[in-house]
Amino acid sequence: MVRILLVEDSVSMRSFVRACLGSAQSALGEVEVVEAASGFDALRLLPRSHIDLVISDINMPDINGLELLNFVRTSEKYKDIPVLLISTQSSERDRKRGLALGATAYLPKPFSTEELLASTLAALGHRS
Amino acid sequence: MVDSIDKARDEFFSEAQEIIETYSRNLLAIDESLTGGHSDPTLVNEVFRAVHTLKGLAGLFGATAMGSLAHHLEDLLDDLRLGRAELTRAVLDLLFSSIDVFGKILEAERGGSEAAPQGLTNLLERLAQLAGHEEPEPAMVTDYELDPGMLAVLTEYEEHRLRSNLEQGLRLYRLRVKFDLATLDKALEEIKERAKRHGEIITYLPTGESSSIETIELDLLMASHDDLSMLIGSLASEHVIVEEVARKADLHGSPLSRGRSVRHEVSLPALSKPLGVPEENAEMALASPDRSLRSLTQTVRVDIRKLDRLMNIVGELAIVRSVLAKVADRVRTDGQPQLASELLRVHRNFERRLTEMQDGILEVRMVPLGQVFERLSRVVRQIGRELNKEIRFVITGAETEIDKLIVEELSDPLMHMIRNSIDHGIESAAERARVGKPNAGTIALNAFQKGNHVVIEIEDDGRGIDENALLQKALRLGKINLNEREELSREEILGLIFLPGVSTREVVDDVSGRGVGMDVVKTNISHLGGVIDVQSEPGIGTKMTITLPITLAIVSALLVKVGQDIFAMPLNSVSEALSFDGRGVRVVDGREVMTLRGQSLPLCRLARVLCLPEQDPRARKFVVVASVGSKRMGILVDYLIGQQDIVIKPLGKSLAHVRGFSGATELGDQRVGLVLDPAALIEEVLLSGENAREKGMRAHG
Amino acid sequence: MADLTRVERRGHLRRAAQVGPIREFLAFTLAGELYAVELTTIREIVSPPPITHVPRAASDVLGICSVRGLLVTVIDLRQRLRLGDGSGSQRTRILLSETASGEVVGLLVDEVRQVIRLGASEIEPVASVLGGEISAHVQGIGRPSSDAIVLLDLGSIVGA
Repeated sequence: MVRILLVEDSVSMRSFVRACLGSAQSALGEVEVVEAASGFDALRLLPRSHIDLVISDINMPDINGLELLNFVRTSEKYKDIPVLLISTQSSERDRKRGLALGATAYLPKPFSTEELLASTLAALGHRS
Repeated sequence: MVDSIDKARDEFFSEAQEIIETYSRNLLAIDESLTGGHSDPTLVNEVFRAVHTLKGLAGLFGATAMGSLAHHLEDLLDDLRLGRAELTRAVLDLLFSSIDVFGKILEAERGGSEAAPQGLTNLLERLAQLAGHEEPEPAMVTDYELDPGMLAVLTEYEEHRLRSNLEQGLRLYRLRVKFDLATLDKALEEIKERAKRHGEIITYLPTGESSSIETIELDLLMASHDDLSMLIGSLASEHVIVEEVARKADLHGSPLSRGRSVRHEVSLPALSKPLGVPEENAEMALASPDRSLRSLTQTVRVDIRKLDRLMNIVGELAIVRSVLAKVADRVRTDGQPQLASELLRVHRNFERRLTEMQDGILEVRMVPLGQVFERLSRVVRQIGRELNKEIRFVITGAETEIDKLIVEELSDPLMHMIRNSIDHGIESAAERARVGKPNAGTIALNAFQKGNHVVIEIEDDGRGIDENALLQKALRLGKINLNEREELSREEILGLIFLPGVSTREVVDDVSGRGVGMDVVKTNISHLGGVIDVQSEPGIGTKMTITLPITLAIVSALLVKVGQDIFAMPLNSVSEALSFDGRGVRVVDGREVMTLRGQSLPLCRLARVLCLPEQDPRARKFVVVASVGSKRMGILVDYLIGQQDIVIKPLGKSLAHVRGFSGATELGDQRVGLVLDPAALIEEVLLSGENAREKGMRAHG
Repeated sequence: MADLTRVERRGHLRRAAQVGPIREFLAFTLAGELYAVELTTIREIVSPPPITHVPRAASDVLGICSVRGLLVTVIDLRQRLRLGDGSGSQRTRILLSETASGEVVGLLVDEVRQVIRLGASEIEPVASVLGGEISAHVQGIGRPSSDAIVLLDLGSIVGA
């Protein structure tokens, strides 16, 4: 079973991604999506159960996606978890920073179901 | 999969709606702070994020018009928040226009319509005109001893905030805090509250160090004018360490030498007088970004249809409870007193719990009037500009709560009344100066709870209602005749404003067309179970008072029968009911009147008024004495059925032409009974016997 | 609606290729004649529950009724289109539809027949005057076979 931590402050966005991932049963087998509405929620949820992939928005208030990514990458326990960043294209700078900080992949919005699935599969393929 | 995508789409509309509302509130707050001469960067960022989110959502759900508009607005707002563009009145106006256009786009998308909504092209053109900004400046090298790792994880916006705080000469501090994951939310709120009193928190960075799995350590980066000792005094604790981030060297090249002024003080536009805003409103609006963040985690968004369904069930349970009481009675007369008292106990218990549940659901349906009032603020601003009148809009009692359904139906009537007020009531600036009134006209909106009702008052300090003009118009339209004109009391003259055709303009103009008549407003209000009153003083102003039931939900009613038809009368308008034998009825001024305990009571035969076949006039009837305010009337019906709790549901717009009913209710067994509106009936019958009845009939032609 | 055999289904597909994009219509009778409205405009079809007469309402309003708690105004479609009286029967039904303002109204019809599929080429625009109140609400004439079905524009009827 694959457990994905989805960090995104927009309710309908979470709904959409969840629906997309739900359709990935055939490729991924059983998928459980754990939702976090903020960076803080994510920090709370990380220790609770084993996470196979983090999908996170960049622009969130308080703890932003880059900071979350950095936390994951510098933590002994979580550093190998692949992180897929989703965000808008308009900040090229944020994108570069994200990749420099060790994001596994970057998916600009708006993305289609196929693109999300492809990126998810690719990111999971990086699992060690 | 399709199912969940549909659900996601529904949530998209619901979320988009909320975002647009928040966006609107924030724009109003920005407007106020602009007028006050300062700007709050948080607000501009909130607005940017709202539009940014809308863009992302729109792209996902294929709402191309929305996405395109959001995309252009986002570019503008990004420039604004990063200081690359200036927030002028023109820009703010444009942003306000975008709210209406977004609203229309959302409606169109929801209905699946392909047509481009009105105003979209115009708005996009205006946006294009504003576009064309400077090249983004190179990232500033910070001269502070900030961990480069920390810099690397700042988003572009956060970096901008950091820079601008430094440019203004604030000092930089790092707060290292340790939290228990369990109590994180509360602790976070607390530290935010305290820290915000000193300055701006730029970002929160998890350090990655923590002593246990249940704790988290964060670095808060904040900027403040206050010095270290003050901050330590206020914020430091066993969980919080405050350190100043030292400066390496002086900043070389002051910001001004870059040839751009610091865009945080926004210049006031050349208005004759800024639009004043009351303290309370400003405070409320500025405080809302924080408050709204908290409420996001503690509230649940509920579809009003689900609440309606719950209310239906409660209504049906109320019927079950009545039946239970009747069964208990029958059991007793059947000779089983012990069983009967047990049943009665059950009934009482049931009644208690049902009342609790009813109250609970009613509470959920209640929303503060502030929702509608805020929307009206925008309308006032807009109309004021259209009509070239300065308006001071004062709101009090926005926290007064009322049923959500009523709130939805209120915005139109309130908007029409305000429009009338601004259009007809408030004089032009010149005229006001002549009579010594302040330049800006004031419209005060006040709301408060009074027993089982909510009272909303709309008062203006305009020229008041011209009684003579009103009388002339009513005469001309044939609403009254010359005799009546002599006899009308002041109150009745003002009441003429609610007759169809009287309050609309003669000449159609661009701005408000013919305007919406006060008769429509009155009908709308009465369909909600409310009444409306008007007072006016020439030269001083006009005040409209709307009294509404707190909720459309359950009321106690008296069920009556006329022929084969069952009607319900809300008990709070019934003072008594008695049997009637036809004796002692006189005809006075063409109207039937009877004597009740020495006083005369005008009568109304319900069958006649409703154009229903009349039963044998000699059969026994009943009089239900209806009283609304100071007026009383005896309503003649064929049978009294009994008392019942009912859920009043409003009649649809298809029946808007029918007078005399405030809705309908289920009577059990899938049958429906109409609910009488005593106030409307009293008025109809007492207004002037024949005349009124004709009007009642003409209304449905 | 009758089950389609494989042959019929293939036939439908072939037909679709010939007549253009297919739209679905719900056919019903009024005063002996066959009419239809676009299926997407119909929310639900119900057997008439007890209808309460609304005094002083317009003459083509039969009254109001409750459908699972929702208050619905019921309009006598025959009367609204001035088609003359007919007699009620066991088979009368109420078609529920949503107006532009979001209200759900019900239209009483004599008998609901079936769902008819019409391609663009099977619909004739209305050139001639049909007489009566009805012509304002006619969208076209459908001819799936030799019979003619008057296609009504529900939106204009309930909006009226």
